[in-house]
Amino acid sequence: MTQTTEATLYLCDLKQNQKGIIQHCAAQGMLKQKLLSMGFIPGAEITMLRNAPLRDPIEIGIHNCLVTIRRSEAALLKVEAA
Amino acid sequence: MIKVVLAGQPNSGKSTIFNVLSGVNQHVANYPGVTVDKKSATLKFQGEQFEIVDLPGTYSFSTYSLEEMVAKNFLLDEGTDVIVNVVDASNLRRNLYLTFQLLELGKPIVMILNMMDVAERRELEIDVDRLSEMLNIPIIETVGTKRGGKKKEILNAISRAGKITIAEPFKIDYMEFESFISKIEKMITYDSTISKRWLAIKALEADKVILDKVNIDKDTIKDMTSSIHAKHDLDVDQTFARVRYDSADVVYHKCVKEKNKNLDTLTAKADRIILNKWLAFPVLGFIIYLIYQLSIVWGYKLTNYTWPLLATLKNWVVTLLPPPDLHNVPMMTDFGIWMVNSAIALLNYVPIFFILFALIAILEDVGYMPRMAFILDRIFRKFGLHGQSTLPLVLGGAFVGGCAVPGIMATKGIADDRARLATILTVPYMNCLAKVPFYTLLLGAFFKEDMGLMMFFISTVTLFIALIVARLTTSTVLQNRETAPFIMELPPYHLPTFSGVLLRASQRVWLYIKKVMTIVLAVAVVLFVLLQFPGVSTEKKAEFSQQMNKALSQFDKKVQNNKYYTHVDEVSEVSALINLYDSYKAQRMLAGSKSAVASLDAAFLAKSPKLFPLVRPQDKEAKKVSKATRKLSKANKKLQIETKNEKITNSFLGMFGRALEPLTQYAGFDWRVNVAFLSSFAARESAVATLGSIYEKGKSNLSPEESLAQDGTYTPIHAASMLLFMILTPPCIATMVVVKLQTNSYRWMLFAIFFPTALGVVLSVLFFTLALKFNWSGVDMMRNFYLSAATLTFVLSLIKTKQSGWQVGKSQ
Repeated sequence: MTQTTEATLYLCDLKQNQKGIIQHCAAQGMLKQKLLSMGFIPGAEITMLRNAPLRDPIEIGIHNCLVTIRRSEAALLKVEAA
Repeated sequence: MIKVVLAGQPNSGKSTIFNVLSGVNQHVANYPGVTVDKKSATLKFQGEQFEIVDLPGTYSFSTYSLEEMVAKNFLLDEGTDVIVNVVDASNLRRNLYLTFQLLELGKPIVMILNMMDVAERRELEIDVDRLSEMLNIPIIETVGTKRGGKKKEILNAISRAGKITIAEPFKIDYMEFESFISKIEKMITYDSTISKRWLAIKALEADKVILDKVNIDKDTIKDMTSSIHAKHDLDVDQTFARVRYDSADVVYHKCVKEKNKNLDTLTAKADRIILNKWLAFPVLGFIIYLIYQLSIVWGYKLTNYTWPLLATLKNWVVTLLPPPDLHNVPMMTDFGIWMVNSAIALLNYVPIFFILFALIAILEDVGYMPRMAFILDRIFRKFGLHGQSTLPLVLGGAFVGGCAVPGIMATKGIADDRARLATILTVPYMNCLAKVPFYTLLLGAFFKEDMGLMMFFISTVTLFIALIVARLTTSTVLQNRETAPFIMELPPYHLPTFSGVLLRASQRVWLYIKKVMTIVLAVAVVLFVLLQFPGVSTEKKAEFSQQMNKALSQFDKKVQNNKYYTHVDEVSEVSALINLYDSYKAQRMLAGSKSAVASLDAAFLAKSPKLFPLVRPQDKEAKKVSKATRKLSKANKKLQIETKNEKITNSFLGMFGRALEPLTQYAGFDWRVNVAFLSSFAARESAVATLGSIYEKGKSNLSPEESLAQDGTYTPIHAASMLLFMILTPPCIATMVVVKLQTNSYRWMLFAIFFPTALGVVLSVLFFTLALKFNWSGVDMMRNFYLSAATLTFVLSLIKTKQSGWQVGKSQ
């Protein structure tokens, strides 16, 4: 995936320790509910902390919490680099 | 009685608070129809009766996860008086998200602000009075790990809250949605103690459960949401979430001062090592090794100390049973010994289970479990499993020997239903501890030189098989099971409390004893009947009696000139002497010290002053009798065993074993092996015991290994085929009971019995036939089996599943 412009930046594209602001969540149904209830709402600040040793999943920081999420799911969250 | 529910987000320390309130008198069951734990307790405090239910931890009340459904249904249906909201003080903002939804219910609420110590360490200053005032609820601060702390204060607050009636529930202004909410509110005729506004909000969120409850059509809501979308360009779910978070933000900023914004927490520092790209695997490996070493290896050593206790128990039970009359053992005695043996075979594992359960509890408390999933998810996902499948598989016996029972019990936390079931179905393939004696028996008999290599094959092939089975089941029978997105919180590291760990470990051990033992004993009764009847034929009986008489007359000849002859000149006396001799020998083995032996002697002498001097002779004449007795006892034992074997041969199980022979002969199993496998179903130890006793024949001093090898019926490829079947063989009853408990379905239990059996038969027939055809040795056969399994695993890992991971766009 390219990350040349801000518009195409997704959560999974962030580099280690890079921060981002959630813009939009393209998930549906259960995933969407789960994301929302854990605070993945537009405007929330998110920090990419690290990849798992095998690169997937990733660990991120949001609202003072550490959360792990698979890359396939992180690819649904559009972010803006902060 | 005040009905209290404990609600809170995961990792808020809810269970600790529940333990503080309920102590040991808690009751764990499942919510009706699902496998979610329902913990409840009743207690009395200052003359008032409390019933406390611990709801599953949820982030919110949507309709999607099982836990959320259960929690919501409980709040809707049960007449809850007070809600206790446990909140993680160090994570206040996110926790308030749930708190708001609880407040909107319109029930009295007591907030427990837990983990104040963690908040302090993070340099968060919380203005509790302000918070209490803003939310208009009582708040109690606690430090979760400190036991017993504020039980009184909490119960007092609950009792006070129970007397309040709430005139106007807490309200969040949902702005553009307000007109729609009041519109729905007017449509609701459903009468309950829950605020109509809450029902209306949930209805607008298109919550299926609520819509059914309040009898509103789904399409009505759909129309509304699309008109909202058209009018205000707002997505309903996202907006609700945003407004709640914004409100939480407002409360948070008014009540909390973050003194140090960029605090590098201890957890973050620890994670830098524990989850480090290069160190994560070594650390994980070390932890797994430690669990294995502590529980399986040391626990097994511990059983060396507990075993004598069980053996003493057994001896004691035997003394209560009618004694055998020479070689004729009364059925009652046979039955009693059989039942005691079945029970202690399982009780023997209690020390191991206790250590295992305690270690699991520690890992859960510390917060390493989800991190384990984080590290390994990538591998397991390929096979339809989940990162959280690691621990169950390790406990099941990823090394040489584990136990499927704690393994399956540990699957409880796996969020993804399909992966959880797949894990439950694969754990029994791991190497069960009780299989090890069987392996060593066969390896010792047939593969003396290649023992190490064979053991390596056996202990590692199981992982390949487990992965293959997981992949097969998840892409076939489990295909349509619900999966969950992989989003997990990695909670901050906590120090576990000693009492919490102890409490959970003993609860789980108790559950095992209660649920598993009863069923295993019931099955033991059935097996006993199948092995005892129809019994020995009259001709055989006469033959055995004749042999006994011969042995008796030999004994008589030896002692008739003895000065003690009058003590043993009648058959009943001889019989008593033999029994005394056998029982003394059994108890003498357990008496370690000199003084123990002396007191044992004294006790025996007091009980049988006439015969005991012949068992433990002091003079020459008595020694002669003792020697003759030893010989007679041996002959008697031999006849008892022969009778037993004759019984097994003639038994229903023996017939069944023979009936299976036409099929199993292609795998190289004769009826005796079939009987051994059939009886191993009760507990795997029985396989060795049965095989051993069939071959024992009471004739020689050969070890079971030697007599098996010299028997000549079997070749190494027969043995390899048996090993292969044993690797795949159906799990024991105890495991089946746990499968039933964890899946809440008899169908899965039956599947877990018959699928491995079928697989075992097919594969052992296949490889046995191939071995015959291509002249493989036993080792060749095992190696080829191993390589095929490894290759298949590798190939499967390369094929992408359509279903791997969570489906994007799978909407309502």
